[in-house]
Order: sequence, then structure tokens, then C-alpha cells
Amino acid sequence: MRRHINTLVTGVAVLGGLSLLSIPAAAQAPVQQGGPDYLGGCVAGTPDPPAPGAAARGGGQGNQAAGRGGRGAGRGATAAPAPAAAPRLPDNKEAYGVNAGKPDFGGLAKGMWNVPYIVNMATQGRNADGTAPVVVPCKPQAVKLFQERQDNKMKDDPEGFCLPPGVPRMMYTPYPTEIFQMPDRILFIYEGGAHVWRIIWMDGRELPKDPNPTFLGYSVGHWEGDTLVVNSIGFNTETWLDAAGHPHGEQLKVTEKFTRPNMNTLRLEATIDDPEYYTQPWTVVTTATWRPGQELMEYICQENNRDLGHIGAVRGK
Amino acid sequence: MKAKLLAVLLGGVGLLLASMPALAHHSFAAEYDAAKPVTLTGTVTKVEWMNPHARFYIDVKDDQGKVANWEFELGSPNGLMRAGWTRNSLKQGDTVTVSGSLAKDGSNLANARQVTLADGKRVFAASSESENKQ
Repeated sequence: MRRHINTLVTGVAVLGGLSLLSIPAAAQAPVQQGGPDYLGGCVAGTPDPPAPGAAARGGGQGNQAAGRGGRGAGRGATAAPAPAAAPRLPDNKEAYGVNAGKPDFGGLAKGMWNVPYIVNMATQGRNADGTAPVVVPCKPQAVKLFQERQDNKMKDDPEGFCLPPGVPRMMYTPYPTEIFQMPDRILFIYEGGAHVWRIIWMDGRELPKDPNPTFLGYSVGHWEGDTLVVNSIGFNTETWLDAAGHPHGEQLKVTEKFTRPNMNTLRLEATIDDPEYYTQPWTVVTTATWRPGQELMEYICQENNRDLGHIGAVRGK
Repeated sequence: MKAKLLAVLLGGVGLLLASMPALAHHSFAAEYDAAKPVTLTGTVTKVEWMNPHARFYIDVKDDQGKVANWEFELGSPNGLMRAGWTRNSLKQGDTVTVSGSLAKDGSNLANARQVTLADGKRVFAASSESENKQ
């Protein structure tokens, strides 16, 4: 089944390249809201380590297709050529500071990252070794809160109030992003969430000892080889980790590891560390796809938000 | 079975080219019932080309000639534009046929899945519910 999805995705991706229309996420299998992808996750307790050599299951629709254009060519579809290597910033410390010679996350080019729609990290993300699903190791209070949110059909999702979805959920909210690497910081601008930005401080500073809790946290980053490692703390409790309702509290620490394995792919390995809700840290891998030549647009979610009255959403749930 | 499935999937490419993924900022399932489809034809009375969801309203006449006004929710303007819509794709006075999912609260509201415009062009709605038929 997954092979056929890959075939379809490959075929669509090729056609998409020829099409004048932008089809940012037509290369991803569509998500049916309220459907199976939403449900499940937040398993009680600490999972056993995976059996060695466990095979990848058919989960994570669409995510893994990005950057694997040559694979899975099947009947009736043209195999896409292997994607080009990722660009690197010039090796010029004066101009690029700590980012000199490092992978270029696209800020110098005309283009944007098409961010996937991940409603549930457990059912749609991958483990770091590529397997699926992700087992989310929940403490009892997490299971309780998660189940409440699912039973209420996620009506109280703070994203429905046009509030910023938080971290790493900015990269699961399907509006594009651009990343700009400056000598001592990296700037993410997001079309979604809505029209928000994050600064990742790359100047060697430490995380604050007593951060003011915010929606998107406080972030510092450094390079480990070609991997951008971002550590973030200082989150308020006004966000859900994903649309399915995985919870977090103020103790949340997020580690994001960004790589650009090829021209087309931004790989994000996000680790959630929150001892209030989870028995141990857990990691989810997702990808975003490069869209050359396309541009961010303005998205002011607060403009005409009419759904709250129909949903009966309540803040702080 | 697999060949048929593949044919269905590849046949769906044409639809995918015109469609967008779910771009909701809120839970579809909390507001709409995918098991309650509705299809209506009417005249556009108002278009709100605004975030987070573009909306349009149509007057629908029943057999007795009684007119009811219905609200349909689309995806965000950005999503619609990336799928080929413009803010002028729908205009007051246009006759359209809309199919979608009924709101759960009993109001004259639905989430539009597909819209056939006055010129006969069929477009999807880049809405909260996307095609996921397998």
C-alpha cells in the first residue's frame, strides 16, 4: 500500500514540477480531519525498546516521500531523478559567522519550505530510525488529558483561537516557512500560526534560568557537523503539542535537530522532554519539502475567526 | 486488487492537482459531521475572502419557493490561491452547486468540499476536510 502511495506521490511530484499551479502538499497524502490519523497516541507507561531490525510500517503518510524521489517507481509512473545535493553557505566567517560553510536552509534562495500537516505526532511521525508508529510514553495525567481532548473532538485546541501553535508544532502546521541564517542567529518566519517568527540565538549564550513562559519559547542553537541543534525552553501552557491533543506543561524542553539531506528535504527530528507528562523523552521525525520560486503570503488568522461559536471552544483546556 | 487500487490512486492525481490538504486551524470533527453530506444549488449573496476561512453564502430555494440562506466554509485564501482560486472566483449573483459536510450544531452551515462555479468549472475548496478515499 505504501509503495503505491509512493508511486502516486512520485507521479504527482513530477507532474507538479510541470504544473503552473503550486501544489505544495499534493505530494502528501491528504489528511482527513477527524479521521483515523487523529486518533491514538499517548500510550501509558514507558515503552520497551524496539526489537532490533524492526521493519518500517505503513504509517506516516507522505512525510517520508519527500526527498526519496527515485524510490518506489511503479507501474505507470515516471521515476523522479534523485534530488540534487543541498547547497552550503560560503565559507566566509565575516559574512556568515557561525553559519559559514554550513548547510544552507534556503534563506538566500527564492523559495520556501512546504510544511506538512501533522495532526498526530504518534500516527504520522516516524521514529529516528524511520520506523512507525511513534510510541508516546505518557504518564497517567497525560493519558487522562489526551483522552479528554480526543473525546471532545479536539474542540478546545488553542490553535482554533488563532494562537501560535508552539514548538515543534510550527513545523506541523501546514503553512510554509523560510529560514534565514545570519552571523549570530537564525530566523524562522512562518506563514502559519499565524504570521509569526522565531529567533534561534547562535551566539553561544545559555538558555535563561527563569524564562518568561511564551507560546514559542526561547531558543538557542549550535551546529553539530551538518546538524543544526536547537534547544528551547520557557513554554506557556497555552499550546497542544499537536492537533490530536498530546499535552505539555511549563517544564517542556524541546530539542530540534534540523538537517537538509538534499535540496528538496528539510528533516526535523524533534525530541519532547517533559517529566510532568511523559515517562521519558520521546522523538518524532518529520520532513518539509522545498518549493523553489514560491513565496510566503500573509495569513492573519484573527481576521474573521467564526468557528469558535459553533465549536464551543474553551481556553485553557 | 492492487492494480485497481493503483488505477484509482493514479486517477486521483487529476483531483489532487486541484486540491489542497486540510488547512484547518481548528478541529473539523468538532464542528462538522463528515457522515452528513449536503449538496445545494443557489445564488451567491455574499463572499468573505478572509482568514482563517474564506466563506460564502448562497440563497437556496426549495420546492415551495421558500428561500433559505446557507453559509459555506472554504479553506484559507492562501490555500485557495495556491490551488488556483482568486478572490474573484466567486461573485455575488453567481449560481453555484456546493457539496460538503453539515455543521453539527444544526445551523445552515456546512464545510464545502467541492464547488462548481457559474462557468461550470469544478474546483475543490481547500477546506477542512480533504479527499482521503482509499
